[in-house]
Amino acid sequence: MAIFGDLNHMTLGDLLPLLGAQDGAMEIFNLDEHACVTLYFRSGKLQCLHVGSRPADPLVARSTVSRLVSAKRGSFEFVPGAQAHRCPQPLGWPLDKLLLASVAVQDEINELERRLPHPQTIFRRVRYHEPEDDRLTEFLRRAGDLLDVGASAADIAHRLQIPLDHTQYYLHKLRQLGLLEPVRAQAKRSNRLVAAANLLTSLKHRFFGERQAWNH
Amino acid sequence: MEPLKIVVSGPMGAGKSTLIRTLSETEIVDTEALASEAIGKKLTTVAMDFGTLHLGDQLLYLFGTPGQERFDFMWDVLADGALGMVLLVRGDHPQDFPIARRQLDFLLSLQAVPYVVGVTRQDQPPVWTPQEVALYMGQPAERVVGLNATEPRSAVAPLLRLLELMIEEETQLP
Repeated sequence: MAIFGDLNHMTLGDLLPLLGAQDGAMEIFNLDEHACVTLYFRSGKLQCLHVGSRPADPLVARSTVSRLVSAKRGSFEFVPGAQAHRCPQPLGWPLDKLLLASVAVQDEINELERRLPHPQTIFRRVRYHEPEDDRLTEFLRRAGDLLDVGASAADIAHRLQIPLDHTQYYLHKLRQLGLLEPVRAQAKRSNRLVAAANLLTSLKHRFFGERQAWNH
Repeated sequence: MEPLKIVVSGPMGAGKSTLIRTLSETEIVDTEALASEAIGKKLTTVAMDFGTLHLGDQLLYLFGTPGQERFDFMWDVLADGALGMVLLVRGDHPQDFPIARRQLDFLLSLQAVPYVVGVTRQDQPPVWTPQEVALYMGQPAERVVGLNATEPRSAVAPLLRLLELMIEEETQLP
């Protein structure tokens, strides 16, 4: 059996159902974002995912699969029977659910587009509560320390090695749940009180003359 | 006397250039180009707008930021050292509210700049009221002002509110 080809012609979404009954490793290479990603399957589940030669934790694995599902560039080859030599955190994700979740997240990210927070906006954790969504729980577990002191999506994505838009998506969701808030830069006394007061008087005079009332 | 600077920010088509044109005594310096999105007008600001007001011996600069996010580096640059910021959003265009909130969160997390939110097109119903926009944006009601950017006495309203709030807050700081 030889399963090989190019993601440009056949997406990972097309391939995953094929692999439901196969044990082995799918090597994907010539990708835009990674040199090589290897997915290890057993009994219809994704057991382990390696980025390069390193096993990925669940957060990185989830983001990587999501990226692979929408990847348009990359070559793949399935190696039947191959097993991961190192897999400290076995994933055990059923392929059908994994595919559905990956597609749904990517669709939602595309849909939310500019409603996601700006990459540089700094967020801080304001409430401790475990979300019901496993993805958010996993994200908080990894990013919690950063969010306790305040961190942006760009910082977190860099530190955790996950895609920026996924990080923005998690921050957006956690904010909706009331667990995070954007940080406000701290105001200091500006010595501009007199200038502001004079400006206020001048503007009122300019636009309203002697009338002190203004309606808005 | 050192000139003061107020920055006018907000999404594309919010009325930033109009507000500065309405308030400025001098012909505004603008950097407009053909809009790449359907925003209800042909031209949009791509670098900044600049207008001035002479108030006695005090010179006030009004800087308008570009609305498109690809120019977001300009938002931060223009807001640096500003006396305050007015973030405008079109009250009859609720699809822009998430973008406005995103801009506001971004700017305020980087710069401790006093600010108000201005809700434009109050003269063109149906339009969200300032109170409704305040609820959406998670802002105190007093920080959101309704206005018509083409009418001078209305266009100056967010500046007045900004200065009033600044004075109030400055006197409360330790």
